[in-house]
Amino acid sequence: MIVYINGKEISLFDGARIEDAVLTYSPRSYKMMRKGKLMVVDRFGNTTERDGPITQGQKFSLKRTTIL
Amino acid sequence: MKIAINLFLVFTLFIVCTTNPVYAQKKSKPTEIIILHTNDMHARIDNMAKLAHFADSLRKTHKYVFLMSAGDNFTGNPVVDIVADKGFPMIDLMNRCGFSLSAIGNHEFDLGQDKLNARIKQANFPFISCNIDASGAVLEQPRPYVILKAGKVKIPVLGIIQLGDNGLPDSHPSKMEGLQFTVGIQKAREYSWLKDKYGILIGLTHLGVESDDSLAKTMPQFDLILGGHSHTTMTTPMMVNNVMIVQTGSGLKNVGKITLIVENGKITDRKYELIPLASIKSDRTIQALIDKYNDNDELKRVIAVAETAINGKEELGSLMTDAITGRLKVDFAFQNTGGIRIPSLAAGDIRLKDVYLLDPFGNQVVTFKMNATEIKSLICYSFNRDKKIDLEVSGMNYTVLTDKTGSCSDVVMCDKSGNLLDVKKEYLVGMNSYISAVYKFDHRDAGTNSYNTCSQLLIEYLGEMKKVNYSGVKRVSIKPAE
Repeated sequence: MIVYINGKEISLFDGARIEDAVLTYSPRSYKMMRKGKLMVVDRFGNTTERDGPITQGQKFSLKRTTIL
Repeated sequence: MKIAINLFLVFTLFIVCTTNPVYAQKKSKPTEIIILHTNDMHARIDNMAKLAHFADSLRKTHKYVFLMSAGDNFTGNPVVDIVADKGFPMIDLMNRCGFSLSAIGNHEFDLGQDKLNARIKQANFPFISCNIDASGAVLEQPRPYVILKAGKVKIPVLGIIQLGDNGLPDSHPSKMEGLQFTVGIQKAREYSWLKDKYGILIGLTHLGVESDDSLAKTMPQFDLILGGHSHTTMTTPMMVNNVMIVQTGSGLKNVGKITLIVENGKITDRKYELIPLASIKSDRTIQALIDKYNDNDELKRVIAVAETAINGKEELGSLMTDAITGRLKVDFAFQNTGGIRIPSLAAGDIRLKDVYLLDPFGNQVVTFKMNATEIKSLICYSFNRDKKIDLEVSGMNYTVLTDKTGSCSDVVMCDKSGNLLDVKKEYLVGMNSYISAVYKFDHRDAGTNSYNTCSQLLIEYLGEMKKVNYSGVKRVSIKPAE
C-alpha cells in the first residue's frame, strides 16, 4: 500500500495505521507526534488520530501543534 | 378569468401536496432534535461517566436527544477486551449512558461472531449495517437501518461498514466466516427510497472520511453522515454536495453534538459542535462503575507458569516470537530487543498484567512472504543499526558473520532441524508492525496485517502452553567472518 506524508511516498503493509506511516516517514517525527508536538492532517484539513487506519493513496501532512 | 386561474393554482398546489409524501404532512411547528455521536471508542471507558453526564444534562432540557456510535466500540483496552465475558463492560456502560444506536464497525468482529451476538443481545439499542449478509453465518442478521421517532418526525438512519481490499472489514478473516459483504456505497443506493419516504436521511457509517466523501458525492440524499473508522477529528463539519459529514476522533476524547431543526418533514437547520469530554463533569454512579471495571482482578489472573525465571532479551524474545509462530502458524517470527520492556519474568505464575508489562505497545503482527535472501537483509539491517544483535527469533537459529568493522557481512540461518534455509523457498515471516515500518529490508511482498497484537498472541500462547521453560535458550549469535 502506498500513502503520502508531506508529499513523500511511503510504502506500507496492508492494514497499516497512521503511526506506522509516520514511523516509516521519520522516526524523529514519530517521536514528536507521540509527544503531541506534531499532528497529522488529512487532505481535507482534518486532524487524524495516530491509531487511525489508512487506505491506499491517502495523503497526509504533519503540522506542528500549538503546545510547543 | 382571474378566479379560474386562482382555482387552478389552488388545485395544483393541492395535488402536489397530497401526492408527495414528504409534503403530505400537515404544516407543523419546528422540531428540535439533538444528536450526540461518537465513533471508534475502542473500549476506552474512562470518559464514559462524562458522556453520561453530558447526555443526561441535555435530556433534562431537550425533548429529543439521541446518542449514537458510528462503530468500533471494542478493541483497545484490556479491561474490556480480555475479561472472560469479552466486551461486556463496554455495552454495560453504553446502556447506562442511554445509547440509542450503533453502527457495526470492523473491530466489532474482533470479539468473534458468538460473542458479538451476545453483546448485541446485551445492548439496549440496535446495531445496524446495510451491507452485511449474515444469512450463512453465526452472526444474527443486523438491521440495515432504524427509524428514530421525535414526536411526529421520523428519521431513518442507515448503517454502513467499510471493506478492505480483500472484500472484508479490517479484522482477522477467520472472524468473518460465513458472512457476505457488499461495497457500502453501492448498497446504500438501494436505500435512497428512505429519503423519498421520510424527507430525511442520516448515515451512521463506519467507512472512513475518504469513503464518506465519496458517499456524499454519489448520494446527496444524505442530510448528515455521522462517520467513523478513520479516527478523524473534525472541529468543523465537512460539507460535500450539501451533505454534512462529521467525525469525533477516537478513544472517546470528544462527543459531537448536532442540533437539527425539522419543519414539515424536512431539515431546515443543522448545527455541529465538537465537545472535548475532558472539561465535562462526571456522573458519579457511572464513574464508580468504571473504577470497578478498571480495578480488574482479571489482570491478576494466572495464565501460565514459568518453570524457571525467563531472563534477558534472548529468552524473553524467544518466548514472544514463539507465540507468533505458534499462534499464526508462520515459519519464522522476529522481535526487536527494544520492544522487550522488562528484564525478566520470575519463576512461577505468569499473570495477564505481566504480558502487558513485557509488551505494552499494542503493536500488531504483520506477515511477509520472504525468501532467505530477504530474511538475511532484515537481520543484517537490524544488526548494523548498533552493531549488535537486535532481533530475537523463533523457528530458526542465526549467526551474524561480521567483517573487520564489526558490521554484518553475512548471516547463517538454520531451521529447527539444523538445516540451512532453502534459498529457493518462500517462507512466511511474522514481525511486529514497528519492525515492518522502521527497518529497511528487501521484501517483494508488501506485507499483511494479521489484526492480532503481539500481546494478544502471547496471552493465547501462554494459555495454551500452561507451562514454559526458556532457561538457557540460545538462538542468535555473532561470529567474525573468516
